[in-house]
Amino acid sequence: MDPVRKVDFDSEACGSQTPKSKPCPRPKPGEAAGGCSFDGAQITLLPIMDAAHLVHGPIACAGNSWESRGTLSSGPSLSQYGFATDLNDSDIIFGGEKKLKESIDYIAGRFAPPAIFVYSTCVTALIGEDMDAVCKEAGDRLGIPVIPVNSPGFVGSKNLGNRLAGDALLQYVIGTGEPEPETPLGVNLIGEYNIAGEMWDIEKLMNSAGISVTSRITGDARYQEITWAHRARVNMVVCSRALLGLAREMESRYGIPFFEGSFYGAKETTYSLRQMAYLMNDREMERRVDRLTEREESRLAQDLRPYRKILKGKKAVLYTGGVKSWSVISALKELGVQVVGVGTNKSTEDDVRRIADRVGDDTEYIPEGGASRILKTVRERKADIMIAGGRNMYVAMKEQIPFIDINQERHKAYAGYEGLLRLAKELTYSLANPIWKLAASSAPWDKEVPYDR
Amino acid sequence: MTVNKRKKPASVNPIKTGQSLGAVLALQGCYRAMPLIHGSQGCSAFPKALLTRHFREPIAVQTSALQEMDVIFDANRNLEEALNIVLSKHRPDIIGIIGTELTDVAGVDYATMLKSYKRERNLRGGLAFSVVLPDFRGSLESGFSGAVEAMIDEMIQQAGHRGSRTVNTRQITLLPGSFLTPADVMELKEMISAFGFEVIAVPDISTSLSGHLLTGFSPLTRGGVPLDSMLQSLQSGLTIAVGASMERPARRLHNALGTPYKVFSGAMGLKASDDLLHFLHQISGEPVPLRYCWQRENLLDSMLDAHFQFAGMSVVTALEPDHLHSVSGWLEELGVEQKALIASYETPVVAGMEREVWIGDMDDAEVLGKDADLWISNSHGMAGAARIGAAFMPAGFPVWNELGAYMSASVGYRGAMDWTNKAGNLLMQREAGHRESSIRHR
Repeated sequence: MDPVRKVDFDSEACGSQTPKSKPCPRPKPGEAAGGCSFDGAQITLLPIMDAAHLVHGPIACAGNSWESRGTLSSGPSLSQYGFATDLNDSDIIFGGEKKLKESIDYIAGRFAPPAIFVYSTCVTALIGEDMDAVCKEAGDRLGIPVIPVNSPGFVGSKNLGNRLAGDALLQYVIGTGEPEPETPLGVNLIGEYNIAGEMWDIEKLMNSAGISVTSRITGDARYQEITWAHRARVNMVVCSRALLGLAREMESRYGIPFFEGSFYGAKETTYSLRQMAYLMNDREMERRVDRLTEREESRLAQDLRPYRKILKGKKAVLYTGGVKSWSVISALKELGVQVVGVGTNKSTEDDVRRIADRVGDDTEYIPEGGASRILKTVRERKADIMIAGGRNMYVAMKEQIPFIDINQERHKAYAGYEGLLRLAKELTYSLANPIWKLAASSAPWDKEVPYDR
Repeated sequence: MTVNKRKKPASVNPIKTGQSLGAVLALQGCYRAMPLIHGSQGCSAFPKALLTRHFREPIAVQTSALQEMDVIFDANRNLEEALNIVLSKHRPDIIGIIGTELTDVAGVDYATMLKSYKRERNLRGGLAFSVVLPDFRGSLESGFSGAVEAMIDEMIQQAGHRGSRTVNTRQITLLPGSFLTPADVMELKEMISAFGFEVIAVPDISTSLSGHLLTGFSPLTRGGVPLDSMLQSLQSGLTIAVGASMERPARRLHNALGTPYKVFSGAMGLKASDDLLHFLHQISGEPVPLRYCWQRENLLDSMLDAHFQFAGMSVVTALEPDHLHSVSGWLEELGVEQKALIASYETPVVAGMEREVWIGDMDDAEVLGKDADLWISNSHGMAGAARIGAAFMPAGFPVWNELGAYMSASVGYRGAMDWTNKAGNLLMQREAGHRESSIRHR
């Protein structure tokens, strides 16, 4: 099977540098769901584990959100600190720039991070704080990069925030450093955030095929490794269209070829690994990858057998909103799970096309409408399980529907071959749990059978 | 005694959450309600995610989804759009419009807009109110009480047209503070009704966030106090507020309707529970039910059993103001050293405490609480507690590292007993851990 470079993806959608026809849709008042651009920017940048992340604004943006993501660190934990300038009334009247400057100095002095990311919020953007200037001045004075991230919540959706964070990386980080001379150069993983440790599974796989990771953008990353991302030989955009623009720009600036792939499902994983070796233009590596993927796939097939038996023909409704929908569909299909409904509210037309490639004709698309709409599909299609983000978890629990969490707050890693096995196990455990029967049963005194004396 | 603040420009690991989150929480305690946050999408997404994570329940909240240009030109157009959708699709009984820092800084006047909207649409039979809760002031606690106050104001205004009121002296309005869990509210309701009173809690999260499978999922709140009970509560002969932050809403009822009120700063620990039961005994003339006498004995006995464990122990506590006051009172009875008390923001109740209180964050708790044995705070404190080697006891909001935290009661004798045992167990486990590691490293 020769990997083929997919070049025909067009550039509409928020992922691209130049949105042609349909930019990120405007959220609808009264029925909007999901986070804002600030949230999106943090999702992309917080996995840079050794950097400090300072939120410039009143407390809630940081106070309501810090430590809420499932991204894991193998070492430094400074990014798990919640830093905020915590502006009060008078700061807003007289300007918070002085406080921002002092905060940057304080963090640099006390924690000595390799870099500080400073996030603007709605309020500081509205009152016209000149964050870029403060950051530049502080960076020059302190001798560390202080990077402004201009992604206040009111500019748009989470996807847009991902992209703005990518822009900040391009503008301020990538290309500012050089790797150690003997570092083997390989692949940048873009848009993989090490949720529940997925990055580690992927890295392990790549290492056994002899492919090295140059920069992790940004799962479990260290700041330094992103500065030399421009030296990589291949960029892989891991199932997130939001950072496609970053890969495109790196291609035109540094001539790094890129491809879009996913690690959900054995087929997608094999495809991604092959594509890496192919783009590296290394015959020996391609052979190694072939050997590895064959071995892993046959082992996986063996391991999956008991679970496949149980999962075959089960129906699932998938509502991840974003780009993960199409990649997870492949994984589910390999397990024999039929996707009867899929959410497309945050997907681009391109994503929808890919979903269409992967699902049957009778799958229902759920464009919007939130929880009630998903439930309607679950009921109409008699789905056995719901796969969605944490926000909808307890919606499913209230309706007593088995549920798997797939979003960034989850605690289970589903990437790669091992991940697929884990997904199969999770699905099985969830479906087999005795609680579904118990919860549906009524109390003995509610059964209308009179007591027989 | 004194309120201090460590000098540092930035907040490091904040305890504070936004005020609007408190208001969303308050509205979860009302039946068929919909909080509508007037701000950007994240202003509702974050509270929703956080409340969901803590209570492990779906949370009803909507947003006007403001974007940059909406803020500049006409933010109220978004609000109107959101109201139209929410009213036509969900038909809530209660709708609370929560203004954020964004609308406040931009100077959006949605109170007037709401008034004319109500007039034009002829909104009858429901309760719609607005409240300004920017997060550069206060925290969860003030947002919660602010929302309850606004709700009560609106109720008074609506009822005002109906003429005179008859007072029902056997009925008590309970205003539970934001730090009380659903189990706490349930316990308080039980305690009050044990003396023969009918009690209406406003808001009542004990029936909405305690976990029930009654009706399946709804985008509106399920459980909680229904609107007609809320309006009926205006006839109560007495208001009992638990938590000093709830005094303002209680005073509103007093000023408008003349309802007398009594504020308990908390109901945790022996003395606080004694005070509450004694008060109920006095106003009702009923004897204190036997079970509370038993529970009192049980508590005292468990405190005797546990006092060995607490000897020489020190505690650092970082909570919202009212909660801090309440927990500190209980710790006093345990005889532990209170190394540091940290509140999220300053209120009269913490300023009036006999101990030194710091206004700050988890980082302050880490520095001031160095070498403490026990750390009491929300789950954000876990990492800090590990760094200073203290046993970690989750309390307050949010708690995500423990199942059923929202159902643990701390009020009453039983609550105090549970907490005493819990804290003692944590210290015991920590001690065992120390012993084990000292053997290993020899």
